[in-house]
Amino acid sequence: LNHTVAYLLYALFALGGAGVYLSLPQARERSTRVAGLILGAAAIIGGLMLLGARVMGPSSTNVFFYVFAGLAVFTAARVATHRKPVYSAVYFVAVVVSVAALLILEEAQFLAIALIIIYAGAILVTYAFVIMLAQQAGESVVDTRAREPFVGVLIGFVAMAAIAGRIADPNRLGPLPEADSAVTRASDSGPSMGAADAESTSAGAHVVSELGLTDEGNTVRIGRSVMGPYVVVVQLAGVLLLVALIGAMALVRRRVPPGELPEERIEIGRVGKTVPPF
Amino acid sequence: MPEPVTGHYVVLGAALFALGLVGFLTRRNLIVMFLSTEVMFQGVIVTLVAFARLHHHLEGQTFALFLLVVAAVEAALGLGLVVLLYRRKGTLDAEAWAAMNG
Repeated sequence: LNHTVAYLLYALFALGGAGVYLSLPQARERSTRVAGLILGAAAIIGGLMLLGARVMGPSSTNVFFYVFAGLAVFTAARVATHRKPVYSAVYFVAVVVSVAALLILEEAQFLAIALIIIYAGAILVTYAFVIMLAQQAGESVVDTRAREPFVGVLIGFVAMAAIAGRIADPNRLGPLPEADSAVTRASDSGPSMGAADAESTSAGAHVVSELGLTDEGNTVRIGRSVMGPYVVVVQLAGVLLLVALIGAMALVRRRVPPGELPEERIEIGRVGKTVPPF
Repeated sequence: MPEPVTGHYVVLGAALFALGLVGFLTRRNLIVMFLSTEVMFQGVIVTLVAFARLHHHLEGQTFALFLLVVAAVEAALGLGLVVLLYRRKGTLDAEAWAAMNG
């Protein structure tokens, strides 16, 4: 039975790969690309549902997971396959929002909000600026022809099928211990917990189950973890950001040799009167 | 309502990572290639948080938080490079820099 499930899973991911391959920008009809996209996303979600129904036990029937997982997979495929970079960026916002919803399902509320603020806020604005700065006139061949589409799709989907097959095959890995959140958090760690858990329970303040701080929010616990054991990493992150800031400025500034300053300097008070502003 | 188990999130993270990988390998536009790496980051974040919940401690979430810092740095420097390359050759085509293959 397990082998059947694994092969069915591989077949579904092969279908997904074929769909994504069809939907990549190439010289094809629009209907073919749309059909390929729908096929790809549906096959991947079908694989997830198959894992849920047959391998992981019938307990996993959370509707929201499948809704947001489907949205995330569909929009991620759209980011990778859309012909216009602006639309890719907009679909990436949808990926971020779906992933944030999934993180809330995974009880990582702080991270979900941080993801939306940082990704959908800051990083996407940077992308939008660069897309506007480096806009090419019309649809160029850069966006309408994929590079080595077959090999790329093959690599990506073989990786995906390998991970899924590894999880689906209990002979090789053993079933993952199930995390039933509300129950097992209060109780002690189960027999399936490894050595890493036993080590980290003695480590200190960042262990949730040992502290039993269920009345504290996720944000407070993250704060204790970040400002407790990982406070050095916070400073390292600051250094990293500073270096990136200086590096980005050094990268993109224009070097003007001394003595060759542009002559067409416009005096501030004269703009709009006799001198055109541009 | 019963929760989805860790395997679902791991497979979903793998799916996002693979889709980003496909985008990175097959697209020729530098900006879309960078967007695809961000999709790969999303898959990694889903996986990290799933394992954090599996093992009942917050190290995965903390790691994902620092991953956000690295993603911001990557976006700033990468997009700076994209602007620089676009200024040099007037195109976003990654193939235009094939001479760097060596």
